[in-house]
Amino acid sequence: MQPPDEASLHARGRWPPAPGPRAAIVGSRNASPYGEAVAEELARELAAAGVVIVSGLAVGIDAAAHRGALNGGGVTVAVMGTGVDIVYPAAHGELAARIIAGGGALVSQFPDGTLPRRHQFPARNWTMAAISDVVVVVEADQRSGALITAEAALELSKDVMAVPGSVFSPMSVGTHGLIRDGAALVQNTRDVLAALKVPRSEVLDDPLKTPQRLGFELGRDADGIVIHLSDTMAVSAAELARKLQLPIAEVVGRLTSLELEGAVRRLDAGYVRSLRRGKGRA
Amino acid sequence: MSGPPGAGKTMLARCLAGILPPLALDEALEVAQIRSLLGELPAHTPLDWVRPFRAPHHGVSMAGLIGGGAGVAQPGEISRAHNGVLFVDELAEFQASVLQALRQPLEAGRITITRSGGSVAFPARFTLVAATNPCPCGWAGDGRRACRCTPAVVDAYRRKLSGPLLDRIDLKVNVRRVPPTLLANEPVGERSAIVRERVIAARAQELERQGCLNAFLKPARLRRHAALESAPRKTLERWAEQQGLSARGFHRAWRVARTAADLDGSDQIAEHHVLEALGYRLHDAAA
Repeated sequence: MQPPDEASLHARGRWPPAPGPRAAIVGSRNASPYGEAVAEELARELAAAGVVIVSGLAVGIDAAAHRGALNGGGVTVAVMGTGVDIVYPAAHGELAARIIAGGGALVSQFPDGTLPRRHQFPARNWTMAAISDVVVVVEADQRSGALITAEAALELSKDVMAVPGSVFSPMSVGTHGLIRDGAALVQNTRDVLAALKVPRSEVLDDPLKTPQRLGFELGRDADGIVIHLSDTMAVSAAELARKLQLPIAEVVGRLTSLELEGAVRRLDAGYVRSLRRGKGRA
Repeated sequence: MSGPPGAGKTMLARCLAGILPPLALDEALEVAQIRSLLGELPAHTPLDWVRPFRAPHHGVSMAGLIGGGAGVAQPGEISRAHNGVLFVDELAEFQASVLQALRQPLEAGRITITRSGGSVAFPARFTLVAATNPCPCGWAGDGRRACRCTPAVVDAYRRKLSGPLLDRIDLKVNVRRVPPTLLANEPVGERSAIVRERVIAARAQELERQGCLNAFLKPARLRRHAALESAPRKTLERWAEQQGLSARGFHRAWRVARTAADLDGSDQIAEHHVLEALGYRLHDAAA
C-alpha cells in the first residue's frame, strides 16, 4: 500500500507540526487498565520531552495516548479513519477539541464527510506509520488493528517497538509476538527516546514510573482486599470471597467501601485496583 | 443478573423458588383464585403451597404479560406470578413497551385493565428476576473470550437495558462463567434448605418489627423502623451524592440494607450492611 503524501492530508488544527521527532502510540480498543496507564504515562513523558504523539483517536490505547500527551503539555496528532469533520467515535468530541486547542491536529487522507467504514481503518493505520518516526504498540490481542500499523511501519522502514505485558493476558499476545519477531522492547520512556535518537537519553532498565494513587485511608480490613487485586485482570467479588474465605456479603461491602475511596474500580464483571488519580470513576 | 451465556443465570433464577418460604394460607388462596379464573385449578389439589414461578418467552405480547386480551380481560403472566417469581430471561429481547408496562404493577402490586365497559384489577405482586447478556454477542468482560461487538453496538444495547425499569431493580449482580476446573473441585455451597431457614427467620423478624416485609416500607415508616445511625447514614448519603442516586434509589438501597441486617439477625443496620446494599447497585450499565 502506498500511503498518501503528508502535505496532501486534510487537516484541522496545526499541520504539519513543528519539526521534531514523532512517535505513534497504538494498541487495542479493548485495553486493560494496565495498557491505558502505560499509554498515558509514555505519551505524557514523551510529549513533555518534545515528541509529537501520533495516534488514532480510537477508544482504549489511542485515547489514553492523546490524553497523556495533552496532560504532558505537548502536541498530539490524531489520524482519522473518517473525514476530519467527523469525530469517530462520537464520544471523543471533547478530546478532539482539546487536541486542536493544544496545538495539535486531526488529519485524514479521506475527504470531508467520509463516514467510518471498516476498510478505511487499515489505510488509516498505514498513514499513521508513514507520518511517524517510530511506532510503539502498547497492547494488542491477536487480531488487533495495531498489528497492521506495525506491519506498515516495517514496510516503510520505521522502527517498531512494543510494550510487554502479563503472560496471562490475551491483550499482550500481539505485543509479545512483535517482540519475538524483533520489535524493540519498551520498558520506559527512555527506550523510546533512544530509538528516536533524542540526545541525552541512555537506555537504563528502571521501570516506567507507576502513576500515583490518590491518597486514601485504608482501614485495617480493607488492606487485605487490595493486595489481591491486580491492575489488569478483574477479580469478581465471588472469587475474592473464595480466596479470602469470607462471606460474599462482607466482600461486596468492603469492595464498595474501597470503590468509594477510589482505590478500586469496576471492570467487566469484577474489580481492579485503580491506577488513576481521582476518586471512584463511574 | 448480567453475564455471558452459560454462566448459570437461568439456573440461579429457578433456584430462587427453593429459598423462598412456602405460601401462607391467604397467599395460597389468592393464587388459587387466579388459577380458577384461568380455568387452571386442579380439582384434586386446589391449594398449592409452592410459590409460582413464571418465565414468559421474550416474544410475549403485552396482553400475555400484563393481562387483558380480546373479550373478557384475562390475567397475564404477572398475575400468574402473583406471590411468586416472574423471571424475565434475555431482558434485551423483550419489546421496550412491554417492559415499561411492568413499572406500574411493580410499584402498586396490582394491574388495572381499563375497558370501555369498565375496569378490572388483578393482583400482581411478584418478585422480578431478570437476566441479560452484557452485550449482543454475550462475551463482553468475560476475560477469556473476546467480545465481537463494536463500541457503538454495546452502547446502544446498554442504553436499551437502562431506564426506569432498571432503576427499580434493587439487586444487580454480574454473574461470571465458572471455569470447568472449578466446577469439578468446588466444594458444595450452602444447601437451599439452609438458606431458606435464614430467609424465613429474617421475614419473621421483619413482620414482628413492623407488620410487613421491608419491601413494603414507605419512606416515613422506613425512618421509623429502619433508623440509621451516624456512620451508616453518612455512607449512604455520601454514595447517593457521589453517584447521583435518585430519591427512589436512595430509599431502595436503604430497604436492602435493612434486609441485609435482618438476614444477619441484627436489629441495628451497620455500615457494612449499607455498603453491601450499595454494592448491588451497578452503575456502569449505561450513563
